[in-house]
Amino acid sequence: MTPLSYPRRLASQLLRAALSIAPHDTLDWGNGMLSELNHVEGNWSALLWAFGGAGVLAKHAVLSAIFTGSTRPILPSGGDLFEKETPMRKTVLTAIGACVVASLLFFAAPVFRQAFHVSLAQWHDVLHVGRTFGTFGTFGYEDSSPELERLAKKAEQNRDAEGLAFVAARHPNPDESVRLVEEAVQLDPSLTWVYAVIAAQSCSLPHFDRWVSELKKYDSQNALPYFIVAEKIDCDEVGHKTIRPALLKGIMSGREEHENPAWQTAMAAAFQSHKLDTYLDRLKELDRKALIRYHVDDPFQAVSDDSWWRGLPSYSAWDSSRYAQSVLESGEALEARGDRDGAVEKYMSVARFTKMMGPAGVFWLPRVDQEAYKRLASLFERGANKEQAEFYAALADQADQAQKAELDSMRSWSRGGEVAHWNAFLVRLSGLVLLFCAALLVFCISGVLVRGRSFKLASLHPGRLTLALGLGAALGVLLSSAVLFVSYWPYSELLQRFQRTGDEAGLSDLARFLGDAQLPLGSQLSAGSWYVGSQKAVFYFWFSVVALCVLAFLLVLWRFRHRPRAAAATT
Amino acid sequence: MKTPRLSPQTLRVLERFIERPTAWRYGYDLSRETGLKSGTLYPILMRLAKHQLLETKWVTTEDGVPPRHTYRLTPNGAAFVRSLAPTRSAAKIRRAAISEAKA
Repeated sequence: MTPLSYPRRLASQLLRAALSIAPHDTLDWGNGMLSELNHVEGNWSALLWAFGGAGVLAKHAVLSAIFTGSTRPILPSGGDLFEKETPMRKTVLTAIGACVVASLLFFAAPVFRQAFHVSLAQWHDVLHVGRTFGTFGTFGYEDSSPELERLAKKAEQNRDAEGLAFVAARHPNPDESVRLVEEAVQLDPSLTWVYAVIAAQSCSLPHFDRWVSELKKYDSQNALPYFIVAEKIDCDEVGHKTIRPALLKGIMSGREEHENPAWQTAMAAAFQSHKLDTYLDRLKELDRKALIRYHVDDPFQAVSDDSWWRGLPSYSAWDSSRYAQSVLESGEALEARGDRDGAVEKYMSVARFTKMMGPAGVFWLPRVDQEAYKRLASLFERGANKEQAEFYAALADQADQAQKAELDSMRSWSRGGEVAHWNAFLVRLSGLVLLFCAALLVFCISGVLVRGRSFKLASLHPGRLTLALGLGAALGVLLSSAVLFVSYWPYSELLQRFQRTGDEAGLSDLARFLGDAQLPLGSQLSAGSWYVGSQKAVFYFWFSVVALCVLAFLLVLWRFRHRPRAAAATT
Repeated sequence: MKTPRLSPQTLRVLERFIERPTAWRYGYDLSRETGLKSGTLYPILMRLAKHQLLETKWVTTEDGVPPRHTYRLTPNGAAFVRSLAPTRSAAKIRRAAISEAKA
């Protein structure tokens, strides 16, 4: 007797293994397949034969285990010969039901509902083509969200100044924002600082002069009102109604040095101020109070995206670097004329101002303070004041170190951004898959109900394709729900920690995550982008994707319906 | 009168059986003749047997070779397949007519 080849031995072992788990009433059939193995021509054909047979036996073993144990008949005891195999149908329907129930359980968790809400944000851009990015600072939309409207209404009813200020600081409609903040300050004058928060984001506000005047009275040492004035002058000159297009124009074209005396006066006053407070700390505390008080579920309303503008009016903050350079140049001119004290005063004012700006100074005025200290060191060195020269040289080194540290911090921030970006991608993708699979499942169920013309389970006979599609869709819903939950959960924790303890660590990550989560999947925009024109492209892109998907689905359906089938008549 | 949907694979198997209604057939031979893999063929055979349209028997062929499982139509099975024949023929004729019209 010749020894069996390896594939044939494997085939035999495979079928024997399947026989060992097969239900009793299929053993004859399994042994039949095993005996036929001796007659199959070709080793690989024998292996394929064994795979098929083992699959059949394994399927019956699984069904037997799931349903009625070893006594389960291998086939339905009654009904028509060509009815669908009932146990298989039941298995699939049970699996679909289990997936749907598990997915619904996800929805019972508030964190998941929040995650689902975040995943839907990408559709806002796709469905609202005309939206302009960041018209008013925070994550607000051009149209106010229902959540914000609810808050505004409640705060007005309660005459809650902090609630009104909270809504005003993030309302997308400037007129409404102004109305709410006026009401808030009237109720509680200690909230006057909210004027600055709103004015820093838009320079086309009514009552602008009164607001600045009140801000100067409220916090006379602060440079922020002067920045706001400089911003307003810039905006009026450029002739744009909003800051960002003007800023964009400034960046793209490179503006000439500002020569408007009013602007020069405002910037000089800002440089001479004793402090710079953008009120971001107060704003965060206000946010926290309002979030707790009004149980705000919408994370987009909970977090202000202040990561890049740092609470400063962006245009004048950008121009402060230009103004600082002009001050350094005027110091140089004084130095050339022999006015050493005048030059020292100019350089010192720049150094003091950048120090006052803190981290924002490193961001908006890169290397300006280092330049000022170097000039001071050089000036004192020429004046034979070595002690002072060494002192300012050391400060220049310190400024250099601070600059490098800030760059490292920005790199680290950027790396953190990659994680947030990836998580936002997962949230958007799982949100899309969830919607698609849910729609497919509803479609399958509706189709079966319409064809069966009954709501009784026993009278419904879904075809194999319907069952396969339904099972795939249910699994898709469950899997995408799990991914959505897991991807969003860390950010929910960050938000809850901020609300509970006021801990701001991770808020910037959350802001970046939310910024990315708003961008439609597939769009190449980055958070805070000002490139409004691409919004239409985003819409058309997604419209094409959806249209192609629908077309493909209809084609598959059509092919299935028209595949060759034999019809037979039985009595 | 009920018109259940028959899968083309089941019809193919029944066609093979009806060619020689009284003959006992081996599983592998049926697989080769119908072109169906074991994973498709055996569930069909099992279903037909369950509905008593098919009977099974173990036969010994030669010494040293394990007995083989064989199958043939029961009288009920043969009658059932014959009852399918007119419809099947009608379908074939209809398809041929459509092909002709298209040509």
